[in-house]
Amino acid sequence: MSVNDKTDLIEIDGSFGEGGGQVLRTSLTMSVATGTPVRISAIRAGRAKPGLMRQHLTCVRAAAEISGAAVSGDELGSTEIRFAPGALRAGEYEFSIGTAGSCMLVLQTIVPALLRADGPSTITLEGGTHNPAAPPWELIERAYLPALAEMGSEVTGRLERYGFMPAGGGRVAVTVKPGAGQAYVKARRTEIRNQRSEAVFANLDVDIARRELAVIGKQLTIGEERLLLREVKSQGPGNALILTIEHDAGCEVIAEFGMRGRSAEVVARSAAREAKVFLGTDAVIGRHLADQLLVPMALCAGGSFTTVKPSRHTVTNAEIIRKFCPGGITIERMNDNGSVQFVNVTPIDKQGIST
Amino acid sequence: MSKPVTVFAFLGTTLDAGSGPDRWERWRPNVAMCQHEDLLVSRLELFYGSRHKRLAQDVVRDIGQISPETSVNLVPMELRDPWDFGAVYEALYDFSRTYTFAPDDEDYLIQITTGTHVAQICLFLLTEARYLPGRLLQISPPKRRREGTPGDYSIIDLDLSRYDRIATRFTAERDEATSFLKAGIETRNAAFNEMIERIEMVAVRSPAPVLLTGPTGAGKTQLARRIYELKRSRHLVEGEFVEVNCATLRGDQAMSALFGHVKGAFTGAQAARAGLLKSADKGMLFLDEIGELGLDEQAMMLRAIEEGRFLPMGADREETSRFVLIAGTNRDLSTQVAEGKFREDLLARLDLWTFRLPGLKDRIEDIAPNLSFELNRYAERTGERVTFNKEAETRFLNFAASQDASWTGNFRDLSAAVTRMATFAPAGRITVAEVEQELATLTARWPKSENNAGSDQLRSVLSPDQLDDLDLFDQAQLAQVIEVCKTSASLSDAGRKLFQASRRKRTSTNDADRLRKYLARFGLDWNTVAAGEAAT
Repeated sequence: MSVNDKTDLIEIDGSFGEGGGQVLRTSLTMSVATGTPVRISAIRAGRAKPGLMRQHLTCVRAAAEISGAAVSGDELGSTEIRFAPGALRAGEYEFSIGTAGSCMLVLQTIVPALLRADGPSTITLEGGTHNPAAPPWELIERAYLPALAEMGSEVTGRLERYGFMPAGGGRVAVTVKPGAGQAYVKARRTEIRNQRSEAVFANLDVDIARRELAVIGKQLTIGEERLLLREVKSQGPGNALILTIEHDAGCEVIAEFGMRGRSAEVVARSAAREAKVFLGTDAVIGRHLADQLLVPMALCAGGSFTTVKPSRHTVTNAEIIRKFCPGGITIERMNDNGSVQFVNVTPIDKQGIST
Repeated sequence: MSKPVTVFAFLGTTLDAGSGPDRWERWRPNVAMCQHEDLLVSRLELFYGSRHKRLAQDVVRDIGQISPETSVNLVPMELRDPWDFGAVYEALYDFSRTYTFAPDDEDYLIQITTGTHVAQICLFLLTEARYLPGRLLQISPPKRRREGTPGDYSIIDLDLSRYDRIATRFTAERDEATSFLKAGIETRNAAFNEMIERIEMVAVRSPAPVLLTGPTGAGKTQLARRIYELKRSRHLVEGEFVEVNCATLRGDQAMSALFGHVKGAFTGAQAARAGLLKSADKGMLFLDEIGELGLDEQAMMLRAIEEGRFLPMGADREETSRFVLIAGTNRDLSTQVAEGKFREDLLARLDLWTFRLPGLKDRIEDIAPNLSFELNRYAERTGERVTFNKEAETRFLNFAASQDASWTGNFRDLSAAVTRMATFAPAGRITVAEVEQELATLTARWPKSENNAGSDQLRSVLSPDQLDDLDLFDQAQLAQVIEVCKTSASLSDAGRKLFQASRRKRTSTNDADRLRKYLARFGLDWNTVAAGEAAT
């Protein structure tokens, strides 16, 4: 029996693992891409405000729109939805995200699915481009989209306006041209080629950005020519500290966000700490990219990579993907303390054929 | 399936303002309201004045940015004075009457945080009265440590009883606003309220005399004054409110007091006197207890009402006075007409608009509002605000509504009771002690009804338990029998009185025996009954 059998409903416990929006988004993407109906229950059950919030509803509706899905339970505060996708449709999509919610989370929900559509798509998103608890645009542009390209599709994107919490008003556009899937294999990193840090800020005192860079420069011994002040235009105030680490096997982006009550130094030290963890290993993929690569890899031609100690997001995503293709993802320790781990992803199509 | 949410809100002319990027760091109520992850406003009906159009448009733009799911309708609402209760209420009321609500398809929230405090009250009132068929939405800024977040919100459903306390507070505020119409008393008796509405119509539309009937203390004087105030507010009268109780007018005094006299009109008339009718010129004359007016005065009064003319005592020229007459009486004037004590033609003039004010016992549900009215009046009079504690109030109201309270003096009794309790209240708080004392005072003041008098007779010879077992039918008869016994010298004497009719027809021979047997049926004998008398 094929796991892709469209009559089979997959049940997902929304409170599992990360237990929040990530479970929902990954389930939606897998459902849309494989045409498998899902029922997700106990959505965000353990959270202070359980059930679907507006940003989650936006994801549900975006996923429904690209797949012509029949949905029930898609209302505010709902803890259970049934989502039965129809045929995946390539096309031009535009989504506006309320409460300055992250464009990137919506992007990561629908782009992997659209890699399997039968034609090119353009997705335009309005909302937040630099939100705490979500990848910033730079990670998408410099690490995520290039990885998708390496998986066999042509993907490009551009940021048209910056949007910070709480004002939002950002705008990004991504174009996807699906191609034949290629295995994504990243075994080892041997050389750091370029390391730079940008302090992005809007409608704030430049001093904040300067202080962040000063800490980064000292902690990571980065020369002043690679510490960049980037004042940008945006509706409201905002600040993001972006570390970009280019290496022989790809690119890693680490981000931290300045916010009220959090000093520039604290922001910078936190970013430096994460950078040191990554730089201290020879893993190719960083903590915040690893979880996002699993879904597109499973949906394209699979592959493998080394990464730092996996986050709960990564483990959760792997588990959900397994619901759609059992045994499709393995995560193994590469050394005793587990600081480097090996992730292997079997593509879902191969899985489907092999059983 | 939950319904899309529509919010009604005033533009916050100060709080919602801001044009620089730093506006996003401030809490702007109407914008923040649309930033909650767990509240989706599908439509916002935003009230604004034309002076703030620019700000309103800025708010619409910002809401569009952070909440693309929300459509904002700008609702122009010109309020020359947003602190004017009447104007704000009227504007919102008009809006609520013309807006098309679809409560089956939409959920309505009435945001009461922005706008003046007057607007807040008006929105509350309209929501409570279901003119705005929704729930209240209260929004608040974030706590200091969560700055930059949209803050908090709470939805208040006035249909839930746990909000009674808020409702009570706002009810008090509303009373202030509508005190003009109801003299501050929020009466609940439907019949009374209906009558007041009719009286208001008559007062506004007709200059004809009005006759107010009803027991003493039912509030005739107060109502007359209210009618006067209403007429005055509509510029229907300009003069004074002149009030006189006809029972206090006797003889020459009556004529002179009402119609005036010239100097030397009678012994002791050292100076001229204009009289009450003249004082009421262009105003209103309230003649209470008009049934007590002498026949001569009645004749003069009739002419004064019909022609606006009368002859002061001793004068040879008529005076004129145009006044509105309101008459009060607790008597049945048609009976008095039949007895020749009241002029039929005067009654006919008065009878066009007759309103009968029910006594307090017929308006049990109005006791509570009148109680608070009396407390307010006491506060106005003395400058001291006195309140009941909950237990005391319950005790008083329970008694007031019970059969034990006869309220023979009606609202006058209630007023006096409040004054006494308030005077004795320690630290402005009436407790159960003051209430108990007052209940004893009231009970002692009220005359015992005949039924009660009969009960006393029975109580003097029977235990309460025995009394409980007696039918009312037997109680009446037995009470009468005991009454006779107590005024008789002996059993035989009483028997003779009680069976006098039978004796005449010679159908009874032994009256004493018959009475003894009757008393025995109730376990009584002559000695007990006689002892009962001895005991009193």
